[in-house]
Amino acid sequence: MGATSVLPFIGVSDLVIGLSLGSRLFLIAVGLSLIFGVLGVLNFAHGAFYMVGAYVTLGVTNQVIGNFWIAVLVGGVAVGLLGVLIEVGTIRPLYGRIEDELDQLIVTFGFVLVIHEGVRFVWGSQPYSMGAPASLAFPVSIGGSTFGAYRLFVIGAAFVVMGGLWVFITRTYFGSLVRGTSSDREMASMLGVDVPRLYTAVFFLGSFLAGLGGALAAPLQSVSPALGDQVIIDAFIIVVIGGLGSLSGAFVGAMFVGILQSIGPQFIAAGHIAIPFLAMVLVLVFRPEGLFGGIGE
Amino acid sequence: MSTQDESTGSRIGAFGREAVRNGWTRERFVLLGLLGLVVVSFGPPFQVYLFTEFLIIALFALAFNLLYGYTGLLSFGHALFYAGGSYGFAIVLRDAGPSIVDAVGSGLAPLVTFAVGGVVGVLVVVLLAVPVGWLSVRLEEIYFALITLAFGMLGYSVIIQDPGGLTNGTDGVIVLLGIAEVAGAEVMLGDRRTYYYLTATVVIASIYAIWRVVHSPFGTICKSIRESPDRAAALGVDVTRHRWMTFVISAAFVAVAGVLTAGLSSVASPYHSHWTTSAIPVVATVIGGATYFAGPVVGAFVYLYVRWGISRYPALEAYWEFFFGVMLIVVVLYFKQGAAGGLVLVHAWLLEARSEYERGGAGAVATFARESIAARLRAARERVTSSGDAPEGGTR
Repeated sequence: MGATSVLPFIGVSDLVIGLSLGSRLFLIAVGLSLIFGVLGVLNFAHGAFYMVGAYVTLGVTNQVIGNFWIAVLVGGVAVGLLGVLIEVGTIRPLYGRIEDELDQLIVTFGFVLVIHEGVRFVWGSQPYSMGAPASLAFPVSIGGSTFGAYRLFVIGAAFVVMGGLWVFITRTYFGSLVRGTSSDREMASMLGVDVPRLYTAVFFLGSFLAGLGGALAAPLQSVSPALGDQVIIDAFIIVVIGGLGSLSGAFVGAMFVGILQSIGPQFIAAGHIAIPFLAMVLVLVFRPEGLFGGIGE
Repeated sequence: MSTQDESTGSRIGAFGREAVRNGWTRERFVLLGLLGLVVVSFGPPFQVYLFTEFLIIALFALAFNLLYGYTGLLSFGHALFYAGGSYGFAIVLRDAGPSIVDAVGSGLAPLVTFAVGGVVGVLVVVLLAVPVGWLSVRLEEIYFALITLAFGMLGYSVIIQDPGGLTNGTDGVIVLLGIAEVAGAEVMLGDRRTYYYLTATVVIASIYAIWRVVHSPFGTICKSIRESPDRAAALGVDVTRHRWMTFVISAAFVAVAGVLTAGLSSVASPYHSHWTTSAIPVVATVIGGATYFAGPVVGAFVYLYVRWGISRYPALEAYWEFFFGVMLIVVVLYFKQGAAGGLVLVHAWLLEARSEYERGGAGAVATFARESIAARLRAARERVTSSGDAPEGGTR
């Protein structure tokens, strides 16, 4: 145990578990941040989207086709489409109202209640668990500790998504449209960007990422209707610390919160719950724009 | 409004004369409402309990709406002050109760303990709200919602951690109200009907106090801040300081509701400090109508009685939150004035219908009803079909 001799309290296993927690949180936080950065909507239902992604994947894997990887895709796309329905049906009519930001927050909170109860209606209140996919159900040994290969895969997936999003936002034509619209929507509209359609596309992408996060996390945690309530608060903490609208901020914030949740209990009993909120308060008081910059940085 | 020689007694006298003499004035409605409160107390025990809960939630939502409806700040952390009141009260009852009994002697001791606990609960919350509000009101809109959410959950995690054995962790602090002796008769404070009278008295006094705050120059400044913070600032209003004061006042009244709920449910529970509790006044206020003073009260009524109505159907019982989600969405999208706004519209419509009747009899009323409903439907249809168009003039 080489690493444990350097840092007596923090083992490799804590770090890896922290990173895998952070990876799941990143997938939900980055979508939340992207939607806020472009549309200016803080989607309270984003945690519920994550939960739906987990349930759909679980259901499709266990009852429909039995292939986890297809189920993950189905989960992500289903949540993306759910997001599009909500955006077009209820958020779009609210753009341009005077107090639109608070109205949007309240409407999306309404969807938290609706989706929460809908999931309980379909799947019941009891928690479910599922195993890792067979192709990744073998142990891997790092620094004297053993992990499921699937856990490491999820960490890798978060890095891939981060890299892919970065390329997408900074290097592609669509990415430049997104950046342009997020910084000046009226100018973009005047230059011929179909802003409503772009908004819907971004909302799809953000929702898809939340669904993907839930889908990939399904084998790593118990899936219950309370899941959405927990992760939305974590996601809020992360995007505030990183800066609402910042992709790299979402990444760093997610890893910070993930590692804190994994090593925190060893230092202060239940302190790991308080510290993220304290960090959130401090950031909001001293640097409300977050520790990192805007979209694409 | 009040001159020097106007004593409370003569003001009540004037109020009574006004109510009896002058038709359907506000005074008569207030008197009828108070009479209704007394009538409710003779209902079956469960209904009395439910109505007590309604009064507490109504106060909670009214105090929340001081910030939301009157100053335009959406707090998602008011559970912190709700729980603060509960815990302050419960801890005083648990730890200082015996010494208060020693000091006062038996008899009135439980009542004195209740009052001391309540005052301490509110004071604790005010002490908490002063720094929290000072830090929060600097931020606006989404950021204000987020920082209050963070403070609320910070409070939740502190309560769960049980600092110094004060809060008893996840189990909460049990509240025992005791038996008072008033004029030789034994009064169980925890009895549903007694507790209802106690709650109704405190809530009515608090609502009257909030009414006075809202209808004072201070309340006018709040409304001007809601309409346009920049213009209010240009008129010389210290916007941040006023928001801060409103925050503290709002928190203090929320604490009163928290004290009452601890007595009603016999426990100060960490659940009261969770953010899902912060959502209750948001739901009640939005459904009731934030721009009307009575909106949150109407919303609290809808909240509790729709929930109760749903709970009578076993198939729906577990899913009552679903209906509130749908109601929230529909109200924000199509009925921005909420249920109170709806009642005002219905009242105006009835007045118009009556004048039509006086002019042209039943036929005219029927025509009027048909035409006005058709116009409403047309307007609603236009709103739905136009929602797919490009958003206009969004300024952020």
